[in-house]
Order: sequence, then C-alpha cells, then structure tokens
Amino acid sequence: MTIFHTFVIKQERLMTGTISKLVTVILLMSFCACGDNSARQGGLSFPVADSVPAGEAVKLSDEAVADIVQNIASPVEISAILQSMKVPFSAEYLAPTQGADRLTTNFQKAVMLGIYGADLGYLNMYEKTGNSVDVLSTIKRLADGLRVGQFFDFETLKRLSVSKSNLDSLLFISVNSYNQIDEYLRDNERGSISALMITGVWIEGQYLASQVALGKHDEILRDRIGEQKIILGDLLMLLRPYRESSADYASLYAMMETIAATYRDVRITYRLGEPETVEQDGRLVMVQKEESIVEMSDEQLAQVAAISKDVRTKLIYGK
Amino acid sequence: MKSRFVIISLAMLLLPSMAQSQPATEDLVSSCVLAAGDNTTYLKDFRVQLPAAAANAATPVYKANMYLMKNMKYRFSVCDAPDSKGELTVTIYDQGKQLISSFNKSSGKKYTSIDFICNKTGLYTLWYDFMNGEQGSGVGVVCMIK
Repeated sequence: MTIFHTFVIKQERLMTGTISKLVTVILLMSFCACGDNSARQGGLSFPVADSVPAGEAVKLSDEAVADIVQNIASPVEISAILQSMKVPFSAEYLAPTQGADRLTTNFQKAVMLGIYGADLGYLNMYEKTGNSVDVLSTIKRLADGLRVGQFFDFETLKRLSVSKSNLDSLLFISVNSYNQIDEYLRDNERGSISALMITGVWIEGQYLASQVALGKHDEILRDRIGEQKIILGDLLMLLRPYRESSADYASLYAMMETIAATYRDVRITYRLGEPETVEQDGRLVMVQKEESIVEMSDEQLAQVAAISKDVRTKLIYGK
Repeated sequence: MKSRFVIISLAMLLLPSMAQSQPATEDLVSSCVLAAGDNTTYLKDFRVQLPAAAANAATPVYKANMYLMKNMKYRFSVCDAPDSKGELTVTIYDQGKQLISSFNKSSGKKYTSIDFICNKTGLYTLWYDFMNGEQGSGVGVVCMIK
C-alpha cells in the first residue's frame, strides 16, 4: 500500500459524507499535480527553474557558485583520458568493498558512495562490467542507508553489467543515478551529504589519475591533475559551510586543505585566442583557441599524488 | 462502503497518470542522450521548464555552471518536450563572454546540438532559454565526444 493510498483511507475515516470524501480526493489529486504544471500538460516533471533575466551579467557570488556548480568531478572523463593513453585497467586502483558493511555514519557512507561511484565509472569505461556487480551491490546498500536508493536502478544496472549488452545504457544509467542523487540531496537540504559524495568522487578520480601519472608520462593527464587546483578551490568552498558541524567534517576539510597546499606553486596561465566556429554535418562546432597552460614539476606531481593517496587511505580505512 | 469504493477507484484511476510524470521526463532525457549520437558518453542533463516572457520583460533563462576540461570534446544537445510551445536553445558563456549558441540570431538558424572543443579548463555557464521567450519545457544534455 502506497503512502498515498494510506493517506486517502485515513482521510476517508475522518469524514462522513460521500461528497466531501470525493471532494477531498479530488483536492488531494489537484494538490499533488499542481506542484508541477507540466505534469498536467504533458506528463513531464521538471524542477523549479532558476530563472534570471537574460540581460543580467553572468556574475555569481562564491556561495552561489558552490550551490550550482555541476560536474565538479567526472570519473568518466578521467577514465576516458586513461583509455586514450592506452593505460590498461588495474583492479588495484579500486577501493575495497569488504568493509562497506561496517560503515555506520552518514558521513562515512556518503564519502564511500562517492568513491565507489568513481570506481564504477572506471570499471564501466573499461567494460569490466563483470567486476562491477560487487561494487554495484555495495553502492546500492550505501545509497539505501542514505535514503537515496530509489534513484539507483540496481536490477537494471546489474542486468546490463552481467550481460555486457549495452555499455552506453550502463554508463548512462549509472551516471544519471548519481546526478539524480546529487540533485535530490541538494533540493532536500541535504547539501552536506551531497558535498561528501562529490568529495568522494573527486578524491578517487584524483587518486586514480595521479597514481597512473606517476608511472606513465602523459602531458594531458598531467594537465588534468594540475588543473584540479582550480576545481579544488570550489570543492573547499562546497565543504566550508559544514566544516564546523562535526569533527569528521573538520578533519575532512583539513585534509582537503593539505592537498590544496601542495598545489600552491602549481601555475596555471592562459593564452588568449579567438575561437573558430564551423558547421559540420549540420552541427555547429566551436574550437576554442584560448588555452589554459599548467606548469607542474615532477616533484609537485609526486607530492600531489602522495598527499591525495594519503587522504584517500584515511577516508577508506580511517587511518 | 460504496463511497469508499468510489474514492479508491478514483484514486486508482488518477494515480497512474501522476506517477508517469517522472518517467516521462526520464524518457525525454534518454531519447535526447540517444539523439546525441553513438560516439558520445552522457555526462549531465538539465531539465528546463520556463514560463513565457512577460510583456516588455527579459526572456526567462535557466542557467547552470559546469566545469569543462581542456582537451575534451563536448556535445550540448537540446530536446523539446512534446507539449512545449517554445524551442529550447543553449548558449555557452565563459566569464560573461558568449562563446557559442545553438541559435544564431542573425541567420535565424537553430541547431539541435553544438560541439565544443575545449582548450581551457574552467567554469563555464550554460544558459538555456526558449526561442522568442515562449513558454516551454525540455532537456539539455551534455555528452563527452569519444
């Protein structure tokens, strides 16, 4: 019996006249439907839009940026770089799933949900879908524990993983599930959990990228690691409002600051250029000519890799 | 007893149409991801619903900030909901400067997707609005081009 059914029956017991019961149900229906106008018009559901006048300058306060920054950490993009480098898959980079059942706090669950999410992206991009069932099960348990399991279509993901039938669908559903969880958490004033999950995704992607970079020189990968200096600033901004809420948050914030400190002397400069736009196959294509340039020494890379690994270890093993 | 039957029956009749609203949006996202092409990997979607522009007022816009990375190729696709009056467009801004839009105002040409070959890692702003300030709903999908 759904919550809605229960609610209808309880209402029925409270009232006596048939007409009043019908009116109540219709009002309830209207109330449920009018929250989203589109649901009545076309069967579609959209969140409330963040509407601003088109002419307004694109200036955002730091706090606003923290609220709406999307795609702060994408394990799929990191994995795509590794694949382009022809770096073979290695299960050694994956976080262990054995201890996941012993996680008790929402803090631990949220961070690990992010870490396993990054691992899932890595596994799927490398089509190691058979190995991903264990990670999927762990993710499902953690998501349920955080009351966001409804966004994780475990059965479909498991079926796609086992059959290896449709990698694109698998990637779409898994990435989409995380996006929905993140959006739901933010919309429901659980931004602190969202921030932890994003941090987990980021640290695992950072660990993966930096460990590979230590063993294999690649300019694109090095650039990607160096560019994290920019993203790390926003990640700290995202965590900052919660750092005094508990010892766990304070410790995490301090650890992230130690990573940021290793980036202090990493230089990012910009070379200006006018973009070129062409039409190809009926599609508009823009090639950006402005360029970001990362200057990061081998020592700096080694330091970033070591500190990132250390933070990841503390988050996973608690020591 | 009869009234209870009527109430429950009415609820059962109306519930499915309400329950379908979320899957319908998911379906639109899925079809938009498919329309982005075989050589792409989904990264993010934005579900946009905007009212019509009021008389003599600015066009309503849905905006989102997104990190785009150097050496990556992105495809930004837009898909309109079946009942949408307006046609959705996307415009990418870099620090307030317009880079590319799926709607060319001077030629009047509209593209269902645009590709952006990124050479500068940074925070970009995506603006979604409906042509001519019409009311509309739709989704914008961001994919990585393999």
